[in-house]
Amino acid sequence: MSRISDPRYGVLLTIPGLILLFLLILFPLFYLFYVSFLRYDNIHPIIFYGFKNYEYVVGDRLFLPTLIRTIIFCLGSTALTIAMGLVLALCLNRITKLSTLFRSAMILCWAVPVVLSGFIWRWMFNPAYGVIPDILMKLHLTSEPLNIFYDPFTSMIGVIFSYSWINIPFITILILARLQSIPTNLYDAAKIDGADTLHIFKYISLPLAKDSILVGTFIIAMFSFRTIDSIISMTPQGGIGKSTYVLGYYLLDYLTRVFNFGVSAAVGVIILTVSVSIGIMLIRYMVK
Amino acid sequence: MIMAKNGIRSFIVKIIDHSLTPYTVATLILFFMLLPIYWMLITSFKQSTEVFLSPPTYIPQLITLENYIFSLSVKGPILVYLRNSFVIAILTTAIATISAVFTAYGLSQYKYKGSNIVLALYIFTRTIPPLSMLIPFYILFSYLGWINTLQSVIIYTTYMSYPLMVWMLKSFFDSFPRELIDAALIDGCSRTSAIFRVVLPVSATAIGAMAIISFMWSWNEFLAPLLFVHDDALKPITVGLFYFVGDEVTEWHRMCAAGMIAVVPSMIFFLLAQRYIVKGLTTGAVKF
Repeated sequence: MSRISDPRYGVLLTIPGLILLFLLILFPLFYLFYVSFLRYDNIHPIIFYGFKNYEYVVGDRLFLPTLIRTIIFCLGSTALTIAMGLVLALCLNRITKLSTLFRSAMILCWAVPVVLSGFIWRWMFNPAYGVIPDILMKLHLTSEPLNIFYDPFTSMIGVIFSYSWINIPFITILILARLQSIPTNLYDAAKIDGADTLHIFKYISLPLAKDSILVGTFIIAMFSFRTIDSIISMTPQGGIGKSTYVLGYYLLDYLTRVFNFGVSAAVGVIILTVSVSIGIMLIRYMVK
Repeated sequence: MIMAKNGIRSFIVKIIDHSLTPYTVATLILFFMLLPIYWMLITSFKQSTEVFLSPPTYIPQLITLENYIFSLSVKGPILVYLRNSFVIAILTTAIATISAVFTAYGLSQYKYKGSNIVLALYIFTRTIPPLSMLIPFYILFSYLGWINTLQSVIIYTTYMSYPLMVWMLKSFFDSFPRELIDAALIDGCSRTSAIFRVVLPVSATAIGAMAIISFMWSWNEFLAPLLFVHDDALKPITVGLFYFVGDEVTEWHRMCAAGMIAVVPSMIFFLLAQRYIVKGLTTGAVKF
């Protein structure tokens, strides 16, 4: 009936996609590595530079603090997102009345662009006119209006909040989907055996939802390590005392201010290595 | 001691088990999840004098549409930003969806030697940080003279959307009833016309929902237009929001109105296609 075999037809169907994959991803990726080995500073002629860009980055005294800040941001937002997502998923799993309303309300902020999230939170944290300092004052938690961007430590907390806010719905949905697939007779059996809610959580819900919690952790860690959108809109120059100056800022500054594409590409490769390592752990975990 | 510990434990269990607890906790978390959206909403309806009141008002004293009228007036640039966002998002979605449908269908239904490697490549692509890929794209677009054009942004957002679409569509086609395709083939359809006459019409809704995800991703993209586009007439809304944010004074009420305009369409999409989006993203993230 057909002139070519089924596998060949499959190849034919995927060829346009493969061309796109090559042009849009593999070639630029190769080019990124290539540039990172060049002296490409837009001043001197472009020459092969070996590992000198990497040596420069690692030797830069700004680099290590920036890396540490990035890791703090990554761990902070991952922890906050997963914790809130887990609690919210456990609640929604037990909610029967108005469950559609609760879920729709939960999902709403997922649609907000990350950069807009930074702006909204910056506005809410505004010491004079913002809502959060006012609420904290009304609850008598702070004696004077909180000025979150005036202190390096609280600045970091601020950007973690604005980034986590966007991701909580995704994690909630991921965990909730798993929780709902747990057969209810497991709970009933446990209750007959005298288990209380904490036992059930520890020995049934948590082990069975472990997969999606871990997958979510990897995904959020991977994304938060490389994000910059909400940090830029919240603390435009990297915050007070460069307290929110993460690797993304470092990369962008070398790309658009210093115009040293070689160094920028080296930072890009470093971010890529971390992100891909987390990603490979995730994929290996999921394939297993 | 043990008694006290058991007492505390049973007390905690009693609280957790109470039927109102999930509602209370979920409401509390949702309060903080919805507060930013509520704050953006009411700020967008406030007059400029009320916006800069300290302490802030929680319900606008006087609702005004002035901010929206300003945003949508021909004098302001917001309409241009929105048009650019729309052009970027719709073209990206069209390219990514059309190519991803065939790639994913081929990878799912007509496996060939090496098709698993191709699929792995797409999954691997998802771990590459878009931030790092900005550098090669930026340099290549400079060579091509494509800086300050919309096509540079569209190419970049296609790079972001396309692998995700393949990934999600592949897991969707994996569960597509094979009998439907076989029946069409027996009835004399060619493999290609089976795609157009059977597969695409049956899966139109799901593909549409995934196209919405791609649309939103491109709509929300911030870094690429920030770097690739300098001309005000070519900026999308995500970058355009900076129009309101000055070094000295930020017109938060107008920023919020523009933000609402940018975000409400995606929220409506999200609520309408919630079921499919949730399914697409969770299956795409959890299994493949």
